[in-house]
Amino acid sequence: MKPLDQSLLAGPKLRSAATPPEARGLERDEVRLLVSTGDRHEHAVFHELEHFLPAGTLLVVNTSATLPASLPASGRFGSFILNLSSRYGEQLWLCEPRLSAAHPGPLPLTAGETFEVAGMSARFVAPYPGLPRLWFVAFDGSVEIAMADEGEPIRYGYVEPPLPPLSAYQTIFAERPGSAEMPSAARPFSRRVLEELAWRNIAIASIELHTGVSSLETTDGGGEPVLYPEPFIVPAATAAAVNSARRDRRPVIAVGTTVVRALESAWDGHQVNAASGFTRLFVEPKRGVHTIDGLITGFHDPNATHLAMLHAIAGEGRAAEAYDEAMRNEYLWHEFGDSHLILPRIG
Amino acid sequence: MGRTALITGASRGLGAALARFLAGQDFDLVLTARGAGNLDAFARGIRNGGHRVVAVAGDVADDGHRRRLVAAAETLGGLDLLVNNASELGPSPLVSLSELPLPAFERLLAVNLLAPLGLVQAALPLLSARQGLIVNVSSDAAVGGYPGWGGYGASKAALDLLSTTLASELKERGVGVVAVDPGDMRTAMHQLAFPGEDISNRPLPEVTMPFWAWLLGQARNDVTGRRYRAQDATWEIAQ
Repeated sequence: MKPLDQSLLAGPKLRSAATPPEARGLERDEVRLLVSTGDRHEHAVFHELEHFLPAGTLLVVNTSATLPASLPASGRFGSFILNLSSRYGEQLWLCEPRLSAAHPGPLPLTAGETFEVAGMSARFVAPYPGLPRLWFVAFDGSVEIAMADEGEPIRYGYVEPPLPPLSAYQTIFAERPGSAEMPSAARPFSRRVLEELAWRNIAIASIELHTGVSSLETTDGGGEPVLYPEPFIVPAATAAAVNSARRDRRPVIAVGTTVVRALESAWDGHQVNAASGFTRLFVEPKRGVHTIDGLITGFHDPNATHLAMLHAIAGEGRAAEAYDEAMRNEYLWHEFGDSHLILPRIG
Repeated sequence: MGRTALITGASRGLGAALARFLAGQDFDLVLTARGAGNLDAFARGIRNGGHRVVAVAGDVADDGHRRRLVAAAETLGGLDLLVNNASELGPSPLVSLSELPLPAFERLLAVNLLAPLGLVQAALPLLSARQGLIVNVSSDAAVGGYPGWGGYGASKAALDLLSTTLASELKERGVGVVAVDPGDMRTAMHQLAFPGEDISNRPLPEVTMPFWAWLLGQARNDVTGRRYRAQDATWEIAQ
């Protein structure tokens, strides 16, 4: 796999969604939907989703809810923000310290140094091996209380004021909080879309995968990118639903790349099993995908891991074509942006 | 109440990396290795970071030394984590089983198999009191059948069986037992297995720290009896 598809970077400038669609006078389900079936691309609106899903389709969604994971912090070199990524234990989290929403830093950190975060004391333990922007941080108090008191959703520089509240970062499927960033592929799903899907007997199963901070890795030097693991659960009922859809040759469509990672992590070479733990599985074309036939996703920065997964699902050429099509037609990027349905070719 | 860990083979490689990582999380440490010079220098470095460290040089195959280690943990108030990491490789370069001197194999079993069990036996009262975790460091040689790795691999395969059996036996006492295969790493032992070869493409032991962070955050019952590969893409708990 190429580290980054240069044609994507050199192409027309991508357009970020700087605000949620609600702030642009749209309902959540009124974002645009690019439907890619093989080499055919159709332009639609998200609430028309039902028309593009074959009868018998099984949708698999992520029920993880978003945390107010961005905390104010101050240390030796002044104030900064600490974005929580993944919980390892009551008092140990993997975190991304940043200068600000727009500026990642790097901050001049050393292992063992202490700092203040949301009124409690904390300590940088060690950088994540191979990803020095992420640090293990040990906290002296309750991270949950700190989030409740002072946490904000993690926002990046492209989000414009008025800053969206935490509720803007929850999907309709959100149940248990645990994600540093919204599993955003499901954001356009609305009550009415769910009703239409139910009407057409399109079943929905769920996994839980708590996302960490968004990946910015590249595969430097042609090796595999460094991925950090994320907590996931594939319930027995979901494993059974996916296996039975596959037996009946009904399409399984993942809502979000988190769903693909969770299901592929629970695949044993023959079927999907109930599973729970942490996963950093790298889904790429050589490994292939075994559990899903299609994907609903947003448009994201073309980082190595996201692209590799798209290539594994759609094929490298097809994925690049779809991105070109989206850019030519000014689709909006990022978590508040437009949506992309990648369907298997018929026949 | 602080947590305490006892790590064998702690002056370098995986043991040292883990000791540093746990100290950063405020564990008190009992560390041991055979060479007093290396161990004391390493322990001093950690102590300078403001952490409580007791370093006791010696051979884990020696029963008296094992008792001293457990006594040291007692002076720190108890024991939450025992990491049986110290291992010997056997002859370097590696020799096939048909040529492995039996005394060398006996030494392998004494260090890699009997010593971990001896430490478990000696430390069990302390571990029970804290519902602690025992980690026995294993290897893919335990399952691989790789030429030259037979003696070492057999000691680790037997250690794996001790781990699963102990997990069953100690469940009632609330003590967890897991086997961990850290995978290939750039360590002195790995260099001994490949004398003269360039092993710089192997990752440093720090690459396994996310796994250790994860393991220590899990409930004992969710992990006990399992065998983990620290460099795998997925670490699963019991359903």
